[in-house]
Amino acid sequence: MQPMATSTLMTDAFRGRAAELEDFDGVVRLHWPRVFRFALASLRDRDAAETVTQDCFLKAYRAKDGFRGESSVVTWLLQIAVNLVRDHARNRRLQFWKRNRAADFDFDGASDEIVTRDRSPEARALAKQQLHAIWRASESLPERQRTVFLLRFVEDMEIAEIAAATKIKEGTVKIHLFRALQTVRARMENLR
Amino acid sequence: MNQHLTSEQISNWLAGERTPQQESHLRECPVCAGEVARIQTTLQSFGATVDRLSEQQMRGAPQSVRQLAAVRPQTTRPLRWALAVAALSIAVGLPFYERTMNERHRQEMAKADAALLEQIDAEVSRAVPAPMEPLIDLVAWDSTNSRGGSTTR
Repeated sequence: MQPMATSTLMTDAFRGRAAELEDFDGVVRLHWPRVFRFALASLRDRDAAETVTQDCFLKAYRAKDGFRGESSVVTWLLQIAVNLVRDHARNRRLQFWKRNRAADFDFDGASDEIVTRDRSPEARALAKQQLHAIWRASESLPERQRTVFLLRFVEDMEIAEIAAATKIKEGTVKIHLFRALQTVRARMENLR
Repeated sequence: MNQHLTSEQISNWLAGERTPQQESHLRECPVCAGEVARIQTTLQSFGATVDRLSEQQMRGAPQSVRQLAAVRPQTTRPLRWALAVAALSIAVGLPFYERTMNERHRQEMAKADAALLEQIDAEVSRAVPAPMEPLIDLVAWDSTNSRGGSTTR
C-alpha cells in the first residue's frame, strides 16, 4: 500500500509541474531572469546571453508537451540552457567577439553594491578583489566545472538539481565542483 | 578528529561530499568553522554580485510567448560586426590601393619616358648621319671621342 501511495504522490507532483507549462507566458515572465543570468555568467556576452535565453524558451515552448514533470520547470529550463550555452561556447567563430565584448561588464560596479559598507576600506577592497578573482577564475574553468560551479553558487541549486540539469551523476557533479572550488580558492588565497 | 580540516577536505565539504566526522569537527572547531563560513560568505557575495550584474545587463523580459518570438537582441550581432568591419576596410583601403597603383603606374611611365629620352639623346648626338658612319673609321679621330657629340664641332 505504501509504495502505491508514494507513486500516486509522485505522479501528482509530476502532473502539477507539467500543468505549470499551461501558462507558458507566466513561465517566461517568471524564469526569464534566471535563465538569462546563467547564460550571462557562462558566456560573458549580453547579446549571446539574450539569444541563448530566447532560444531556450522557444525550445521549451515547442517541447512543452513532452515535459513529464520529472524535474522542476526551472531545472528543465536550465537543462536546455546548459546545452545551448555549451553549443554556443563551442562555436569558435564567436570567440574573438566574445573576448572583445567581455570587457564591457562592470563587475566592479556590481560588486561595489554587494560588499557591505560596514567594513573597513581595506577589508572592502580585499572583498571586492576576491569577488573579481572568483569571476575571472570561473571564466577560466573547464566547461563542465564552470557550469557546475555557476549552477551551485550563482543559481543556488542543490547537487541533485545540478545532476538533473547537466545530466551527469551526482558523484561526478561533486568531483567537478571540488576541482572548481580548488581553483577558485587558490585564486582567492593569492590575494590574502 | 582533532586536526584541522585540510584545504581539500574543506573544498570537498563545500562540494557536498561530507562525512559525519567532518560534520562533527566543524561543530566543535571554531577555526575550521570560521574558515568554511568565510568561504561560503564570499561565494554567496559572488552569487549576489552576478545577480546584480545580470539585472543591470538585462534589457527586460518578454511578457508572452508571442513577444518572445519577436524579440531579438537590439545591438549588432557578430556577423553584422564582421560585415561592418569588412565594409569599413574596403572603404578605407580602396582609395589607398588606388593611390598605390596610380603611383606605381606613374613611376613605370616615368621610367619608360626616361628610357625613351635617353634613346632620343643618343640618336640626336650621333657624330654623323647614320649612312656616313662607316666613313668615320677612315678619319683619324681621337680614340676617346670617336662617337661623342663634341666630335662634330
